[in-house]
Amino acid sequence: MTDLTLATLLPALESRFGPDVKVLPSRKEVLGVVQVKGERLVEVARFLHDQGTFTHCALVSGVDWIEHIEVLYHLWSDALKGYLELTVETAPEEPHVPSVTSVWRGANWHERETWDMLGVRFDGHPDLRRVLMPEGYRFHPLRKSFELHEPEELEVKARHV
Amino acid sequence: MSEMWINMGPQHPMTHGLWNLRVKVDGELIVDADPEIGYLHRGIEKICEYRRYNEVVTLMDRTCYVAGIAWEQLYIMAAEEALNINPPPRAEYVRVLSQELQRLSSHVMWYAAYVQDIGLMTPFLYGMRDRDLILDLFQSYTGARMTYEFMRVGGVRNDVPVGFTDRCRKVMDWFDQRLPEYEKVCDNSTIFLERTKGIGVLKAADCVNDGVTGPMLRAAGVDRDLRRDRPYSVYPELDFDVAVYDAPDCYGRYRVRMEEMKQSVRIVRQVLDWLDRNPGPVLAEKVPRFVGTPSPPPGKEIYVERRGYPKGRGFSAMEEPHGEAMAYIINEGAEHPYRAKLRSPVFVNIAASKDYLVGYRVSDIPAIMGSVDICVGESDR
Amino acid sequence: MVETLYSVAHTLVVLLLGLLGPLVPGSGAYGPFLAVWLSYLVVGALVFAVSLVNVLVFIWWERKLLGRFMDRRGAMHVGYAGLLQNLADGLKLFRKQPFSPREADDLGYYFGPTAYLVISIAILGFLPISFGFSGGAVPLSLLVALALFSFAPLFIFIASWSSNNKYSLIGGMRTAAQLVAYEIPLLLSVVAVVALTGSFDLNVIVGDQAANGWFAVPLILGLIIFFIAMLAEVERIPFDLPEAEAELVEGWSTEYGGMLFAFTMLGDYVRALIGSYLIVLLFLGGWSMPWGLSSFPLSGIVFFQLKTYAVFAIFIWVRASLPRVRTDQLLQIGWKRMLPLAMVNIIWALALVVWGYPVIHWPAL
Repeated sequence: MTDLTLATLLPALESRFGPDVKVLPSRKEVLGVVQVKGERLVEVARFLHDQGTFTHCALVSGVDWIEHIEVLYHLWSDALKGYLELTVETAPEEPHVPSVTSVWRGANWHERETWDMLGVRFDGHPDLRRVLMPEGYRFHPLRKSFELHEPEELEVKARHV
Repeated sequence: MSEMWINMGPQHPMTHGLWNLRVKVDGELIVDADPEIGYLHRGIEKICEYRRYNEVVTLMDRTCYVAGIAWEQLYIMAAEEALNINPPPRAEYVRVLSQELQRLSSHVMWYAAYVQDIGLMTPFLYGMRDRDLILDLFQSYTGARMTYEFMRVGGVRNDVPVGFTDRCRKVMDWFDQRLPEYEKVCDNSTIFLERTKGIGVLKAADCVNDGVTGPMLRAAGVDRDLRRDRPYSVYPELDFDVAVYDAPDCYGRYRVRMEEMKQSVRIVRQVLDWLDRNPGPVLAEKVPRFVGTPSPPPGKEIYVERRGYPKGRGFSAMEEPHGEAMAYIINEGAEHPYRAKLRSPVFVNIAASKDYLVGYRVSDIPAIMGSVDICVGESDR
Repeated sequence: MVETLYSVAHTLVVLLLGLLGPLVPGSGAYGPFLAVWLSYLVVGALVFAVSLVNVLVFIWWERKLLGRFMDRRGAMHVGYAGLLQNLADGLKLFRKQPFSPREADDLGYYFGPTAYLVISIAILGFLPISFGFSGGAVPLSLLVALALFSFAPLFIFIASWSSNNKYSLIGGMRTAAQLVAYEIPLLLSVVAVVALTGSFDLNVIVGDQAANGWFAVPLILGLIIFFIAMLAEVERIPFDLPEAEAELVEGWSTEYGGMLFAFTMLGDYVRALIGSYLIVLLFLGGWSMPWGLSSFPLSGIVFFQLKTYAVFAIFIWVRASLPRVRTDQLLQIGWKRMLPLAMVNIIWALALVVWGYPVIHWPAL
């Protein structure tokens, strides 16, 4: 696909996956923002990888919006020279999205980190362990329910114990 | 002899930091690898949510001890996107100057550490000595040698001092002499070539699929450099070549870094010329007060209050010395970022280590992992 | 009869016994035996002291020279130009508590490095540092020295295996493989020297060189092979795989600390000293110098030491400028390059003998 442009790619994506993808208003630093329903994620990823030349999965991250958890994928295309942002929303209780490691191996550790930090389960991930926090740690620290204490606060607490 | 697992780390001379490479060896042959990180995790992303925008810069210095200022700029670019602030051009040039000096110092440091990993002791000291010259330059305009705290939302903290450009040019002239000497030390050594050529091969397709970036990717022949392909800051106005090499092994990575050092010297010279010709402010005039800019220049306090400040998201990607780093900042109108996500190239490069370690020997581990250029501070954040 | 170290010691001991003998009743019966044993003791103590001092200066020499190669100064603070630094380091290590890891096998753990150092120092007793200046003229001194020299891998392997550490074990295995591989070219290049002199006596070998010129000239190939093999045997940098610190932390001595570590390190340097000695003795004319320079009293010792330090300087130079090779490359160099070259060298030496290289036997002692 040499004549690939974003103007053709995004409509193709929309027409193929129908209501499961939604093109959101873009920002200037990314090529586009696409919201995907969790259950079609791997298909969309495969389509973007094969047809859209998005061969490099740069970043998988997540945001805890309290009422839902947003999982973000930033994909790089060498042909389009830019990043495409995929967002997937999932429920805050038992959050889970399908794993894209079958499409990009590089997503492996990013997904592990997202599980570690936000508690998002990636279905089909080959090796979903914690990566930064120790095994057996009870919390997912980047959830907003995980409160960070200021050092002074901790000192005060320690003094009153 | 049967197979056994060896823990190389968390405290091991090869690791250059605090991580654990578990390798399964059959005699001297590596049959499996399982890297473990997290020993240096300081929760920087979480702490960012509790700090004002400019206070985060302090944390960014601590992500990577050899390329602190690269992470500062990475974060600042994302934060400026999220807050919708544009820095003045001179600030951008000072930033790019810092970037390239940092790349130079980081690569020299890499060179020093790498030759030492292979067992070549002398150039280690040559490299460290020359790196000090760059750190002296940094000290002269940021006041620090490793943790600079120099960038601000909307610009940089201060301009370069008087006479800095001449001093910097002298250092660059010195590097013009030294860089060929570095290459000579390695390229004329048969043992060095034997140790690096064909070792730690990660082919281009695997690199791309594994998300490996930076010199490793370019050594494999993939011509991608975000400075050129997704220009940020003032890189489009500068003239430089992207170093690409067509050998996906340790030697290719060495060649790419050597070439990048030369290009960095070239960029620094151009930036210095520009700085000489174009005086001007280095901090944007309209910076919201809540980002926590200390000591505004007198007469320029046209600060915007936090109330009703527009929300936004900022994404920035840049070519850090180790590879492609990314930052993602969500501004929800509060004084602190709602979410700050950092993508470390080293994190991904370590993750892929099984792919380029298996099949080589235990003696190759330092040569291979050294060529990856690991900075655990930034992979663990 | 040139005075040997032994005869000097013997004279002193006899004198001493003559003074003290009347004080001990009945000592006259075994006076001669006592004199022999005491003189051996004196010689042993002298050799031990001299070699240890030499080793300390060797380490200093390495530190300073390596420093110069690397644009720094090396040890500077203890003593004049850091001369006493090694003594201070040794003292520090001496003060440390000996310990063994919980999982280690104590017997092997303590025995390994101790035996390694002892066997290394024992070699020095057979190496003359000037004419007759050894424990005595042993007709097979070269053979004994090399036999003892090749004991090291055994003790290293004992030490590494009993410290129960994976790095140690790999380091020990590497040592065994490496030392065995390089033992052979080493010995083969010695064979060439022996073929030319027809003697295993180092005094004779040096005497031959004093008469006919240093073997470095006719046996230049042998010298190169011997030098490279010796680099591997003393585990110095292009071949320091057994203690490759980048991957194996400290190799076979990883688990050692305090005095036991000092033993391993001292053993390494004693072996380096022996290596330099052997190169000087076999190829560089030992204590002999052309133009009668070594005819002054004691000048032989001085020249011998100078040559030794010059040889070691080349060791250091190599260390400063070469990276480490890989295990398989090391073994390839050993088996596929050095061994055939050593054979060629032997054939060359035999051809020299057949063509009538002037073989003049130095009068036996």
